[in-house]
Amino acid sequence: MKNSQLWLRWSWRDLRERWLQVIAIALIIALGTGVFAGLGGQKRWRIDSLDISYARLNMHDIHVSLADGSFILRDEMQAALADVEGISAAETRLIAPTLVNASQDGKTVMVSGRIVGVDVSNDGPQVDQIFVTEGNGRALQPNDAGQQVAVVEENFANYYDLQPGNSLRVSGDIPLDYIGTGLSPEYFLVVDENGLFMAEASLAILFMPLDTAQELTGRDGLVNDVALRLDDGADRETVRAALEDSFAVHFPNVGVTFDYPEDNLGRKQLYLDAEGDQEIWDLIAILFLIGAALGAFNLAGRIVAAQRRQIGIGMALGMPRRWLAFRPLLVGLQIAVLGTLFGLAIGPLLMVVFINVLKSAAPLPYYDFSFYMPAYVKATLFGVTLPLLATLLPVWRAVRVQPIDAIRTGNLISKGGGLNALMNILPLPGKSFTHMPFRNLLRSPWRSLLTVLGISMAVILMTAFAGFLDSFIATIDLMEDALLYEHSDRMIVNLDFFYTPTSDVVTSITSLSNDEGQPLVSQAETGLMLSGTLKGDGKEISTSLELHDMQHALWVPKLLEGRIATGEPGIILSEKAAEDLGVGVGDMVTLEHPLREGLLAFRLVETEVPVTGIHDNPVRALSYMDLSNAGMMGLDGVTNLLVLVPAEGVESNDIKAVLLSEPGMASVLQIGEITDAIDEVLQLFVQFLAIVEVVVLIMAFLIAFNSTSINVDERVREIATMFAFGLPLRTVTRMQMVENLIIGTLGTLVGVILGWIVLNMMLVARVEDQLSDFKFVVTLSPVTVLVSAGLGILVVVLTPLLSIRRMSRMDIPSALRVME
Amino acid sequence: MIRLEDVSKRYRMGDVEVVALDHINLDIGKGEFVVVLGPSGSGKTTLLNIIGALDVPTDGHVGINGNGLSLSKQANRFKFRRETVSFIFQTFNLFPSLTALENVQLVLDMAATPHAQDRALQVLTDVGLGDRVNHFPHELSGGEQQRVAIARALATGNPVLLADEPTGELDFKTGIQILGLLQQQADAGKTVLVVTHNREISRVADRVIELSSGRIISDGAPRTGKADLSELQW
Repeated sequence: MKNSQLWLRWSWRDLRERWLQVIAIALIIALGTGVFAGLGGQKRWRIDSLDISYARLNMHDIHVSLADGSFILRDEMQAALADVEGISAAETRLIAPTLVNASQDGKTVMVSGRIVGVDVSNDGPQVDQIFVTEGNGRALQPNDAGQQVAVVEENFANYYDLQPGNSLRVSGDIPLDYIGTGLSPEYFLVVDENGLFMAEASLAILFMPLDTAQELTGRDGLVNDVALRLDDGADRETVRAALEDSFAVHFPNVGVTFDYPEDNLGRKQLYLDAEGDQEIWDLIAILFLIGAALGAFNLAGRIVAAQRRQIGIGMALGMPRRWLAFRPLLVGLQIAVLGTLFGLAIGPLLMVVFINVLKSAAPLPYYDFSFYMPAYVKATLFGVTLPLLATLLPVWRAVRVQPIDAIRTGNLISKGGGLNALMNILPLPGKSFTHMPFRNLLRSPWRSLLTVLGISMAVILMTAFAGFLDSFIATIDLMEDALLYEHSDRMIVNLDFFYTPTSDVVTSITSLSNDEGQPLVSQAETGLMLSGTLKGDGKEISTSLELHDMQHALWVPKLLEGRIATGEPGIILSEKAAEDLGVGVGDMVTLEHPLREGLLAFRLVETEVPVTGIHDNPVRALSYMDLSNAGMMGLDGVTNLLVLVPAEGVESNDIKAVLLSEPGMASVLQIGEITDAIDEVLQLFVQFLAIVEVVVLIMAFLIAFNSTSINVDERVREIATMFAFGLPLRTVTRMQMVENLIIGTLGTLVGVILGWIVLNMMLVARVEDQLSDFKFVVTLSPVTVLVSAGLGILVVVLTPLLSIRRMSRMDIPSALRVME
Repeated sequence: MIRLEDVSKRYRMGDVEVVALDHINLDIGKGEFVVVLGPSGSGKTTLLNIIGALDVPTDGHVGINGNGLSLSKQANRFKFRRETVSFIFQTFNLFPSLTALENVQLVLDMAATPHAQDRALQVLTDVGLGDRVNHFPHELSGGEQQRVAIARALATGNPVLLADEPTGELDFKTGIQILGLLQQQADAGKTVLVVTHNREISRVADRVIELSSGRIISDGAPRTGKADLSELQW
């Protein structure tokens, strides 16, 4: 190509002539490439940060927990561990439920808690260490042993804005010195016993010296949990087998369960989130770039249409086709490069915003946000290639016409039919200028279609994100319906051990009264709560098993099918558990559960039990049995679970305040708090969704603006003719708005349908791994659809208003002579 | 009917001031068939645009049909174009996405004329296109397109017809047909103003105004007397 500077200058003039459209497309490209560049590395950053954090805090290789209610002497545990080769570090711990009162300055914070007692000698714990960042107080020290001090888990502290030095009390109304706020590998993402993520609002983890924990819980010298690090090169399965053998010798009557880092739900979720979120960001970027490519296609089509005569003249002068194609392609390339440069510039800004959000939403002790070049390469590649490719087709078509056809003007080239003949088949009612918008859309069906698709890209994003949130909310609603349909004010009290219903511990709680002697509890019942494992179809599912006297219970699960069996063996499973295990009502399922062998010893045994019902709670882990089944666990006549209904006018916090000082108390929860906490966390997603909606609306606006602007360009002579015949500006604008209304409505319709498909694909993929603990309801609420569609259509419809000034300043005589 | 008093139009092209019309004074009566003649750049189209309120003069006053409407306001110019003048363009300027019938119906709908479709059909039949009403412009010949444009102008019922080179894109035979249609309108009492550089066309006019460099250099009946359409040739 000779004299490339001339071509460059020429194409710059083309760009300048349509600078608004160029900017509009470049901005859409920038949104796409910016997301690619800025967030393309988020998966790498998060995974690297997680890897470093887990490694530096010595996350366990093997975790051993004793069956519920089992405790053994620490010395015995250490002796059992000493017989096993391949262990480099062992952290024997005591983990126990508690009730935490962290109320400050009139704000009540009373939630269930978990005491994690660790050995603080030799700068311990050595495994699953606790990291306290600067400014967040201090870590546990050897001289804290036996002191009433605690490091509070950071997610919980952040949620309630707690700081070291704040008041902190646990069951027994025992004050603790809140010395620091810290992170530990098992709780980078807080998950409660039912598998609910982001449970920091309702679960406080307190790290404290082991002997302090033993003293607080009355378990002197006892432990129930071990975290192990293995020697380099040690085979995990071999060590596990050796542990099983050793435990069988040292404490044969105590059941133990083993798990590995990948079984830690929080850890698993964090890694899956990093992967899954990257897919979502990539999808967003691709949809933006597709939108931009469609816009570029339209603009390139318009440019070559406007240059049609020039192309024809060039042909007549014997210029090769590739030269003629070069100018419009150069325009496409420059738009792509301009947009990509914008994108590469905003990429780092997005990265900074994202990193700040990540640090506050999911804090880690260590981060690795090193520059991730592949993301920028990918952004550049996609940002330049997609829009450029989109300009190829119209340019190719333009340079393939015969020179004479390209040069001709006037009646011979006034093609305007398109698909307009369809209008004769389906005539519309009303005046002729009400038909114009439909006519215009059918006249250039490709542009109409591409604009519809471009807008649909924006709506897909909006629909998929809104649907994601709707699906979460619908699932939470189901959970609420299941838990709260009856006695929604009831409170669940976990005891720190098994007591007889007539024991002082139990009767004291069930007959609570205030200082004036007024009863705080109107109704109470006793039950059991245990952890177990359901087995079937080659799968194992952890379950939180509740046993209630179903005949007289204050609350029983609502069943989707089956019956509530009383006085006979039977288990009620969640729908998801039944599906995963491949069982239904009437089938047998294997339940691994604790069997009491001694006062503090439980063995794990497997029992075949019939499935008598399927309950409606979407949480997979929840299972229920009639209390008459307690015998198979060796727990006849004892209780560790109380259900209380507050007396009229009594608030749950009034009861919690009194319970805090009750002996035998482990934790208490007002049943609605389970979902309240999740609802609050969901508010964060709602805010995030609002940001996405704004960005998406900008995209829809830019696409619609690009199309409208091209239309005004192309129809300048028609608009001038309408003005010449006295059609007011408002009527012309109204016609364009109607045209955009049709485009916006079609784009929204297509977008909602495709968005629903994308939503299902996203969720189905996630349900398989990340959301496997729930019966997830994929839904899109009509309100969400209407709001999203309404906003999308409104933005598109209003776009022609931006052309008013341009049209009102139109030089009508010149426009009437425009010849292309 | 049409009165221009000391009308001038100047505009800038770069650093140069161009005088398109220079102190034009003109009176055109009802039912007159006037041809404005002149070479390119003489100001004839500017004159037509100012009379049609597509443009505003730099100086002077334009009065049409005796109305006292101030044409300095855009809204008034729109109203004026809707109710007083109708245009016929050299390149027809039909709406390509509308059929012939709809192109005509459009202007009637703009003016909220009752039975717009029937009226449009009647006018198209009057110009000899009764059998082509459902065709799109690209399906019509140049002459047919210009007849649709004339039908569109006639359908408004406005008293002034302004035609800018109406035969410029047409062959001789079709051009004669179009001139015949315009002549009929003048005979029917409409004021018809045709702008052209084709001197032959001026022979059928009641009055010929010749412009040069924005000034009227002659104004009167055709030099050789009014000719019949059949006598024209170009």
